[in-house]
Amino acid sequence: MLRRFTAFSLTLALLAGIAFGQADPWRQFAGTTIVVSWPAQYHFEVAAQFVDQFTAETGIEVELDVVEYLNMRDRQIVEISKPGRGDLDVVTWVVFWKSEYVANNWLMPLAPFLIDPRVTSPDYDIDDIVPAFLTTCCKVGGVKGYLDGPGASLFGIPFSPETSILMYRTDIFEEYGLEVPTTYDEMLETAEFITENVPDVYGMTTRGSAGHQVVHAWLLHLSPFGGTVLNDDFTPAVTSPEAIAATYALQSILENSPPGMAAAGAGEQDAAFLQGDSAMYLDRSILAAQAADPSRSRVVGNVGYALHPEQEQCGAETGGFAMGIPRNSQNQGAAWLFVQWFTSKRIDLELAKAGANPTRTSTHADPELQAMFPWYETVVEQLPCATADWRPLIPEWGAINAPILGDEISAALTGQKSIEDALDSAAQRIYELLDRSGYYSW
Amino acid sequence: MRTNKVVPYLFLLPALAILALGLMVPLYNAVLLSFYDWNFGQPWSAARPLGFANFERLWNDPVVWRSVRTTFVFGFWVVTLEMLIGVSMALLLEKAVRGATFFRTIFVMPLMIAPVVVGLIWRYLLDARNGIVNFYLLQIGEAVPVLQNFGFKAHTWLGDPTLAMVSIIVSDVWQWTPFVFMIVLAGLQGLPGDVMEAAYIDGASWWRMTWHIKLPMLRNILLIALLMRVIDVFRALEVIFVMTGGGPGSSTRVLSLTLFQTAFTSRDLGYASTIALLLSVILIVFSLVLLLFSNPLKDKADF
Repeated sequence: MLRRFTAFSLTLALLAGIAFGQADPWRQFAGTTIVVSWPAQYHFEVAAQFVDQFTAETGIEVELDVVEYLNMRDRQIVEISKPGRGDLDVVTWVVFWKSEYVANNWLMPLAPFLIDPRVTSPDYDIDDIVPAFLTTCCKVGGVKGYLDGPGASLFGIPFSPETSILMYRTDIFEEYGLEVPTTYDEMLETAEFITENVPDVYGMTTRGSAGHQVVHAWLLHLSPFGGTVLNDDFTPAVTSPEAIAATYALQSILENSPPGMAAAGAGEQDAAFLQGDSAMYLDRSILAAQAADPSRSRVVGNVGYALHPEQEQCGAETGGFAMGIPRNSQNQGAAWLFVQWFTSKRIDLELAKAGANPTRTSTHADPELQAMFPWYETVVEQLPCATADWRPLIPEWGAINAPILGDEISAALTGQKSIEDALDSAAQRIYELLDRSGYYSW
Repeated sequence: MRTNKVVPYLFLLPALAILALGLMVPLYNAVLLSFYDWNFGQPWSAARPLGFANFERLWNDPVVWRSVRTTFVFGFWVVTLEMLIGVSMALLLEKAVRGATFFRTIFVMPLMIAPVVVGLIWRYLLDARNGIVNFYLLQIGEAVPVLQNFGFKAHTWLGDPTLAMVSIIVSDVWQWTPFVFMIVLAGLQGLPGDVMEAAYIDGASWWRMTWHIKLPMLRNILLIALLMRVIDVFRALEVIFVMTGGGPGSSTRVLSLTLFQTAFTSRDLGYASTIALLLSVILIVFSLVLLLFSNPLKDKADF
């Protein structure tokens, strides 16, 4: 009944378009209702305030389905793997789910939309989207299968992408005459100094709970130390001297963080910095907006921004979220207008002004925004170093991430195993898993 | 007399149908799946038959056996403590003491809270930086410095392998002791009054009455409580999932959590079914051993 009505109003809208020649293309799906799966994250809270404006401009009704971000995947898979009609029209994924979604043929490639002048505005300018973000979140089929290159296709648009920068407490650094660290050696030394000498303040903060969280923390340091999770032939590389050194760095960071961080997720990690218990924060750039928000932060005005420290090389996170369209969505046109509208130049800029995370190079470079948000300059400077191959985005990453690495690294950090033993065991388990998946059968 | 033979079965039919639908079909599917490599979210046509490969993998999988051990450690402490505390509380609150109703109500309240909420409550209570448990431990430790040597200081409850295990045991005991309490209390109140009176007149002490009369008469009820707790322990998932996620490392990852992770994080439904079968076998063996001691259903005829 509803669908018949939708079809009817669609036809009506089309006829009206023909009759009057120039109808507003943004309104071509007016009357449709789309269901959007979004995570419960700061950026999306900001973006949710723009949904009414989207509905006013397009006539498309939006139903938001908001879930804690790590629980989104189970929920989405149930819907998007249905053979027939699925109930989600826009899905938002954490970058490392992309290959799994594409390998199972659950996502629409964006080419059919981008090439269709009726549904894509000529002003969309996809070239303006930060290339490392676009590759990490949404390109599949190129180099190593999960990167850009010949054969790669686009399956989504970054929305709330993130890189990593170092944030530090300017008041503490000034009072104790500390230099802003540029290498890991300097950073770990400074962290130790602060923990020992500054009353009630710890040098750093980190995530550490078993599973995805501790792996994220570990990956932050793996790339600057020159390590990778897998070699180019997909054999595990987690026992390399670089990976071992990165794990020792994480252990030292944990020791100079407030107590309890071995069980902390991103929320607790962030809170330690926002509440003023930690002097340095090395993780998602997007915390900067919250640190400057007096309703969420006690350190407003005392935060400085610096590049992610280097060790063997420069390397920063590419992560965050992306939006795309499930293959079994019945409202793909309207869904694409939603994705397009929210990542357009105009709205990207407006979202950024409201405190959300920009997707586009032009937004990052906007002088007004750079004046409003002092960390933009640091982020722009950091982006060339953002590693698109920050973690192996193969379909099996979900089975490597939390169950294997998240288990072994957490065991090492809480003293149940030596770091070397834990990484050996992780390497063996990763090898067995990828062997079963057929990576070594050629 | 023909009807007499048919009618009982006719009455059994609905129960059998429900049993077949609710138990046999899933069990059949689990057994079938354990011989396949099939990922959550894929069509059944993508499943690959594996023969006994999943079982071989299970046999050699240190992760699974470690979580079996973790489950046993967790289960031993949880069931022991719950039975001891639950039975003691029931014996103490059996008589109409002043305020008994009030206490009975209070004791039963944890049972009414959803497991996920229980997990969150304990997670916040035990938070290393902002948790109220550490707050009071620190306060007491500062007031009486000698006590600091006896653990009255801040602990990283959920970030230390041993303390994390202690924490999930405490949370489970907190939530499920009332269950044992309720069952045993109901049993105590159902005991024949004349026996108690006779014992009392014969001058039996409270202790002797409890030990030689009440508890033996409660034997079947205690066994049922024990059996239900053992079964529940093997299914415990939500509270641990929320409190520690199985960590740190895999120190609190019970078998049900490994099963959940294999099925929904690794999306390996075939192997997850194999683990589920292992879980079922462990449970069935446990139940049979317990029922060997005394079968409450069989004894019923003697009542």
